[in-house]
Formats: sequence, structure tokens, C-alpha cells
Amino acid sequence: MINDIVLETEALSKHWGGIKAVDEVSLQFRDRLLHGVVGPNGAGKSTLLNMLCGTLKPTSGCVFHKGQRIDALKPWKFVQRGIGRSFQKTNIYPEMTCLENCAISAQRRFGGNFNLFVSRHSNKLVRKAAEQALAQVGLEDRTHAIAAEISYGEQRQLEIAMVLAIDPCILLLDEPMAGMGHDESLRIIELLKELKKTYCIVLVEHDMDAIFELSDQLTVLDNGRHLITSSVDEVRADPRVKDAYLGAEDEEEQTA
Amino acid sequence: MIFEKRTERIIVPMFFMVALFAPLFLESNSFFVGKVTTIIILSIFVMSLDFLVGRVGLITLGHALFYGMGGYLFVILSPEYEAVNFWVYTLYICSISALIALVTGAMILRTKGVYFLMITLALSQMMFYYFFDSLEYGGGDGMFIFVRPETSIFGLSFLDLDDPQHFYYLALFSLFNTLVFFKVVLRSRFGRVVEAAKQNPDRTEALGYNIFAFRLTCYVIGSALGAYAGFLFALQFGFVNPSFFTWEMSGMALVMSILGGSGTIYGAILGTFTYEGLQYFFEHLTKEWLLFMGSAIILMVILLRKGIAGYLEKLLEK
Repeated sequence: MINDIVLETEALSKHWGGIKAVDEVSLQFRDRLLHGVVGPNGAGKSTLLNMLCGTLKPTSGCVFHKGQRIDALKPWKFVQRGIGRSFQKTNIYPEMTCLENCAISAQRRFGGNFNLFVSRHSNKLVRKAAEQALAQVGLEDRTHAIAAEISYGEQRQLEIAMVLAIDPCILLLDEPMAGMGHDESLRIIELLKELKKTYCIVLVEHDMDAIFELSDQLTVLDNGRHLITSSVDEVRADPRVKDAYLGAEDEEEQTA
Repeated sequence: MIFEKRTERIIVPMFFMVALFAPLFLESNSFFVGKVTTIIILSIFVMSLDFLVGRVGLITLGHALFYGMGGYLFVILSPEYEAVNFWVYTLYICSISALIALVTGAMILRTKGVYFLMITLALSQMMFYYFFDSLEYGGGDGMFIFVRPETSIFGLSFLDLDDPQHFYYLALFSLFNTLVFFKVVLRSRFGRVVEAAKQNPDRTEALGYNIFAFRLTCYVIGSALGAYAGFLFALQFGFVNPSFFTWEMSGMALVMSILGGSGTIYGAILGTFTYEGLQYFFEHLTKEWLLFMGSAIILMVILLRKGIAGYLEKLLEK
């Protein structure tokens, strides 16, 4: 069925000492929809994302993937279940080519990762999957470029390509447009529009225009608490959101 | 082609050609054949360490644990006055060492960085003192190997380990195989993940790899080959003693691998030969040779940032 719940959190919390980074957040993420997550700095967006992909273990509460509880699993098990994430700070293999970067993420699902004797270049499927991921984000002409030597915007695209290459069903994207120029952002927006037709996407982003344009469902977090989850229009109209977030930003703009 | 760099394609064949023919111009039992055999055996040890330190990122100060294990396992397992089969015992020693590495690695690989360094150091020191104080294994004096193994395969024997020249070729053959083996492993898809896990462990885990399992596999491989080197060394000199286990042994191998070019694998050969060559030179020059040795190493490390192999690559790679 289309738009089934694929990922769900139940009273998910992460406390750092006395600080409640994420506090009793219950959310549902549906297939083939893009879920925006916004909130002021320190609202717990990244912490939430880190718990959804298994790198952080919640203090309390649960994460469900297709009805099965997964929060206690190791991070790599999340990936094996098809939950892939990108990072806010570009997190690639700088000394390798773009193709190698994607090949690393692609080869896992083809097996043979503990085969010590067969050349890494021998598997056509891995190469094909890696090339396909690069093509999806529009980096075909950078296939053999060293990742450290391509532009920042391209590195952000590579970051997404690497997630796509693991062949996920759920994409957790942590500020994919961070630090990007206007044109580059537009490219990513177009890409995400295309991707949300096939994946469940959870998007954390600071670029408000982008997130309003892309989100099918928008969640606002404030100080670790879940404020509202609704359609973009409803969220924009909600007075609490204006207080917590948009209002504050307006004031900033006025004083600036 | 498993040798991807031009420098490798020049240096490696050059070294093995020279090494292959050099003994023909020397007397069979000359001092140099024995000396170079020792250096070749050490190169195997340093190479296995370079794999762990330079390629996997496991900075260990306890690699001598396996060097000693290789020697002692032979003495413990083999009958005292009877020639056993070399190949069978190689298999025994490598498998048992691999098993030891698997068990210890499963525990100690949960630590990182300087803690890993301390724990590997502690493990090798433990074994050092165990054998140093053990009565049945000769204590501080160690034990003698009275009979060298025979090397027949299916009744065919073409190597006599009592002949220094034959032993030399066995060591050289082992070194070549070790080099090719590491190169093949690093080129594989397994090697790709290992390379990725060294460059960016967090990302590699986020891409769905259990990097602990990959590191453990590498640790087992490196340790088994380190033990093989210790086994050869013990056979060459006909004894084992606790000095095999000392941290100085691990430390010296680490210096050799860094001198040669950390992570280059073939650099281990260059590093070991340079180190041993310098030591030989200074030893015969002066009583205070350690002073010169130390200065020379400091100078080389400062001047050759990426080791000898790194320097050669800068010259030859264009």
C-alpha cells in the first residue's frame, strides 16, 4: 500500500544529563512522502535524526521500522534494513574518487565483503550501482575526480549519492543544502522532488523556502519537544510555531 | 595488476631480482647470507605490522606477542629430537596464532587509540613475563631447537633448512608471498571496506558495515603472519627466548615500518633493510652506535615525511 507508515517513534527521548535534547517525541513517517523537520537551533533535530539511524541510543522510548522495534540494534543493522542517512557536515572519503565513494556504499548489498581475494573492481554490479547513484544526483562527469578536489556543492551532492547507493527505502537527510549557493540548492530541491516519489524522506533543513516547498508533512520541534506535525500551510498558520521559531526570526530580521 | 603504483612496479621487481641472485655470488655459509636472511624474516614481521598500523589503523605496541608465539609454539608443539614437517607446522602455528588473535582481538578491539596501544603492550608484556618465569619453557634462557623441520611435500624434498642458502630462499619466497598476499587482500572488496574504515570510520559504519568485524579479520591475518615470521626466526637461529616478546621488538618494528613508509606495505622491506643496514654500519664504527642510530632515524623521519617509499614515490610518480 502506498503511504504506509514505515518509520515510527514512540515517546522517544534523549537526555544529556539534565538537558532534554529530545523529549517524548512521537512521530510517524510514511512511505513516499517527504517529512520536513524544522526548529530553532538546539531544538533536537539532529539528535532525533541520529536516533532514527541508530548512531545514538535513546534514553527512553522506541523506534519502529515497519512495526518492528529497532532502537536497540547496532547502527549498521539500520542500514541493512534500508535506513540510510546523510550528514550535516560533509562526510565523504576525501582521498578517493567519487566512484569509489559510491562503490563503498553500493558493494555491501552485493555480498562478498569478506572475500579477500577477488579484486574490488571485478564486480560489474557494484560499479553499475555506484555509477547510477552518481547519475541520479547529476555527478556523472565527476566520476573519476578525487572527492576532496570537487566543489563544496558537488561534495554535498556526492553525500546524497552515497546514501542512494546503499539502496535505501528511507532517507534521513541532515541539512543537505547547508552552505550551498542558490543555484546548487535549486538543484537539490529538484532532486528531492524526484526522490520523494520513491522513498520515504526525513529532511532536516534550515532553508525555510526549500522545506516549505518540499514537505508533504512538516514537524516543528522546539527545545526537544514536539510542537506540531501538519501540512505546511497549517504549520505556517499556527501561532505557537510563530512564537517558537518564525516569529523569532522575523524579529531578528527587523533588527538586522 | 596488484602493484598499482609505478614505484612499486620498479622497486619490487628490482629488490627481488637482486635478492634472488645475490647468494650465487656469495659462499653458502657466509655471514651475509645469514644476516640478510634475518633481515628478510624481519621484513615479513614489519610488513604484517605495517598492514595493521598503516592500512587498518590499529596502532599496536604488542605485535611482538605473535612474533614470540610463532617461535614458542613450535618449541612447545614439536617433539624435541625428531624432524617434523615444516609446512604442517606452519599451518599449525599460523592457525593457533590466528585463534589467539581472534580471542584477544575480540576483547581488545573494542578499545581505540592510545587505549588499544596500552592493552596490546600489556598483553605482550604478560606473555613476556609468563615465559620469563616459566620453568618448563626454559625461563629467561629460553629453549633450543635441536632439529630443524624437513620440508618435503608429498615425499618430494627440495629444501634443506640446515643449508643457509636454502633457508635464505625459503625466507625470500615467504616475503614475496606475504607481499603479494597483502596486496591482493587490500585490492579486494574486503580491502575497500578496510580502506574506507581507516579513512572515515563513522561514515563506513553509517553505510552499513560492522567495522569491528573487518578490523578483527585484519588483526587475525596480521597476527598469523607475524607469528610466521617469529617461527622462521626461531628456526634460523635454533632457539627461542623471552626477548622475542619484548616491547622493544614491537617498537623497533614500528620504527622500521614508519621509516619505510607507513601503509605502503612494500615500504616495510625498505625500512627494515635501511634500519638494519644503518645499525650494522654504526655498530662497526663505534661503541656509541645507538647515539648515531637514534640521530639518523630522527633525521630520516624529519626529512622523509612519508618514509623512504614516500620519497621514492615523489621522485618516480608523475
